[in-house]
Amino acid sequence: MNLFKWGLRKAPAVFHAGASACNNCDIEILDLLTPRFDIERFGMTLAGSIRQADILLVTGVANRKIAKKLQQLYAQMPAPKVVAAIGSCACSGIIFRDSYNVGTPVDKIIPVNIYIPGCPPKPEAMIAALIKALNSL
Amino acid sequence: MQRVAEAIKVEFGEQVEIIEKSAKRIFVYIDKKKIKNIIHFLFVDLGARFSTASGIDDPGYFEILYHMAFDKEGMFVTVKTQINKSDPEIDSITSIVPGAEWIEREIHELLGIKFKGHPNLKRLLLADDWPEGVYPLRKEFPQVRRE
Amino acid sequence: MSEIFKAIILYFIFPGFLFTAVAGLLSTWIDRKVTARLQWRVGPPWFQPFADIIKLLGKEMIVPEGVSAFRFVLIPVLGLAAITLVSTMLWMVVIGGSSFTGDLIVVLCLLIVPSISVILGGSVSKNPLSALGTSREMKLILSCELPFLISVFTVIMRSGSILLVSITEYQASHGAIAGNLSCLLAFAVALICVQAILGYVPFDIPDAEQEIEAGPYIEYSGPAFAVFKLTRAMMLFVLPVFLITIFLGGINVMTWQSVGWFVLKYVLILTAIILIKNTNPRLRIDQATRFFWGPVTIVALIALMLQFIGVKI
Repeated sequence: MNLFKWGLRKAPAVFHAGASACNNCDIEILDLLTPRFDIERFGMTLAGSIRQADILLVTGVANRKIAKKLQQLYAQMPAPKVVAAIGSCACSGIIFRDSYNVGTPVDKIIPVNIYIPGCPPKPEAMIAALIKALNSL
Repeated sequence: MQRVAEAIKVEFGEQVEIIEKSAKRIFVYIDKKKIKNIIHFLFVDLGARFSTASGIDDPGYFEILYHMAFDKEGMFVTVKTQINKSDPEIDSITSIVPGAEWIEREIHELLGIKFKGHPNLKRLLLADDWPEGVYPLRKEFPQVRRE
Repeated sequence: MSEIFKAIILYFIFPGFLFTAVAGLLSTWIDRKVTARLQWRVGPPWFQPFADIIKLLGKEMIVPEGVSAFRFVLIPVLGLAAITLVSTMLWMVVIGGSSFTGDLIVVLCLLIVPSISVILGGSVSKNPLSALGTSREMKLILSCELPFLISVFTVIMRSGSILLVSITEYQASHGAIAGNLSCLLAFAVALICVQAILGYVPFDIPDAEQEIEAGPYIEYSGPAFAVFKLTRAMMLFVLPVFLITIFLGGINVMTWQSVGWFVLKYVLILTAIILIKNTNPRLRIDQATRFFWGPVTIVALIALMLQFIGVKI
C-alpha cells in the first residue's frame, strides 16, 4: 500500500467548518474529543489551520452568505482531501431547503465525500463514517 | 406594575392606549410620530431596558413592537406602532437607545421599513448579492425554493 | 575524504538527524499517551507521530502568493539543521569526547535558531493571524531566554569552564551540578524556561490553537509543516539531553547501568514537562513576560549570587 496513503489513514487532521449551523452538530463534534469517544486513538487530531487539514467537517445548512467562504475554504485545503457533511442540514437542507436564504445544499457548493445524516448524528456514527471515508481513499 | 402603567398614563394621557394583559405584561398602542417620546420616557425616565424590537407584516399595515423590560419589577412593556404600507417610514430610536442599531438594520433589510436618522442603514444578515428592494419577510414574497 | 564521509554519517544518521528524529518522535508519543491517560482517554498507538510526519510529506504544499517558494521552504529547514547540529554536538561529547572551547556558547546560540525560524516563517506568510502569532513568539523568546542564560551562567561559574566535556568531567568527579542548593534553583529555572522554548502549555502562546488558528504556522502545509513538526519533536529530545549534560551529571554510555541512569533522568525531566503541561491553563503573553522577567529572573539571580558567594568561600 502506498506509504502516504497509510499515513493519511492513520493520522488525519480534522477541520471543523460551521456553515450557519444551529450548533447542535458542532457540540456533537466537540464530544468526539472528549474521553468518552476519543478520536485521538484513531490518530485524528484537530487541525489548527485549514492548510494542515485532511478532513473538512461541514455542519449546518450552508446559506447564501457563507457559500462563497466555504468554496474558498475548500480551495485552501491541500490535496488529498475529504469532505464530510455532518448532520441532515448539511446533507440535504431538510426543512430549510425552501428558505429564501438557503441557495443550494452543501454538495452543490463543494464536492462531498461522505454524508452523515442525523439531527445531530451520534458521535459513534461520525467515527464510523470517518473511518469508512478514510478507508475508501 | 401599577406604577409604570400609571406613569405612562399621566405622561401621555390621550395619545396612548394601554392594555394590561396580565400583571407582568403591558401593551401600549401609540402613533408612530410619538415613538421617540415614549421610548425616551421609558428608557431614560423610568429606567427600562430595551430588550428587542419586532417587525410584523399585518394585512393592511406594518407594525413595529418595541419590547422594554423592567427587570426589577419583572415585567415587560411592549410599545406597538402602526406604519402604513404605502410609505413605510419611522423615526429611528438609536439616538436614545444605541443598542437598537442592529435590530433596525435587520427590520429594514427584511421588511423594507426605512428608519429616519439611523446612522448606518446597511445590509446585516442577507448575503451581499441579494437583490436590492426584495424584502423576504413580506407576505407577498413567494416562499418557494430558488437557486 | 573519509573525514567528510564520517561527518555525513555522524550528522545525518547517528547521533544526528535519524537518531534524534526517531527519539524525538517517540518522546512526543510518550507525551501524547501520558496526556491522554491523564485525561482518562486511550490515546494514540506508538507509531502515531511517524504517521503524522509521513502523511504531511505526502500532502500538497501550497505557497502563499507573492512569497518565494525557496524562502518558504528554506526557513523551516534552517531550524531543523540547527537542532540536528546541537544534538550531534551533545552526543559527540558523550561518545567521542570531542569538544572545543566555547561549544556551550555555540549550543546556546543554536538553540534559539528553531524559534527564529518560526518567527521568520510566520512573518513571511502574508496573514494577519500569523503576524499576531509571530509577535507573540518574539516576546516569548525575549522573555524566557534571559533566565535561561542566567541559570547557565551558574553552571559555568560552578564548573569553571565553558567546555562541555570539562563540565561533564567536573560532574563526574564532584557529583551532579544540581546537587547543591544554588544550582538546584538554577535547574528549576532552566526547566521552566525549557517549557517555554518547547512551546508547551502554559507557554504555548504562539501556537494558540483555539485562538489564532495555529499562529505562525497557519500558512504552512505539506512537507514544510512536516519539517516544523519534526523540529519541535526533536527539541523535545534535545533540550532535556542538554539539561542532563550540564545539570544532572552528564551522559555516560559506557555501561548498561549508566545508560539506565540516563534513561531515568530523561524520563524524569519528560515527566516534569508533561505534568506541568497537563495541570496548567495557557497564560496570556503579558502574563508570561511578567512571569519570566519577574519571579523567574529573580530566582535565577539569587541562584547566581549564592553560587558566586559559594565560590568565593
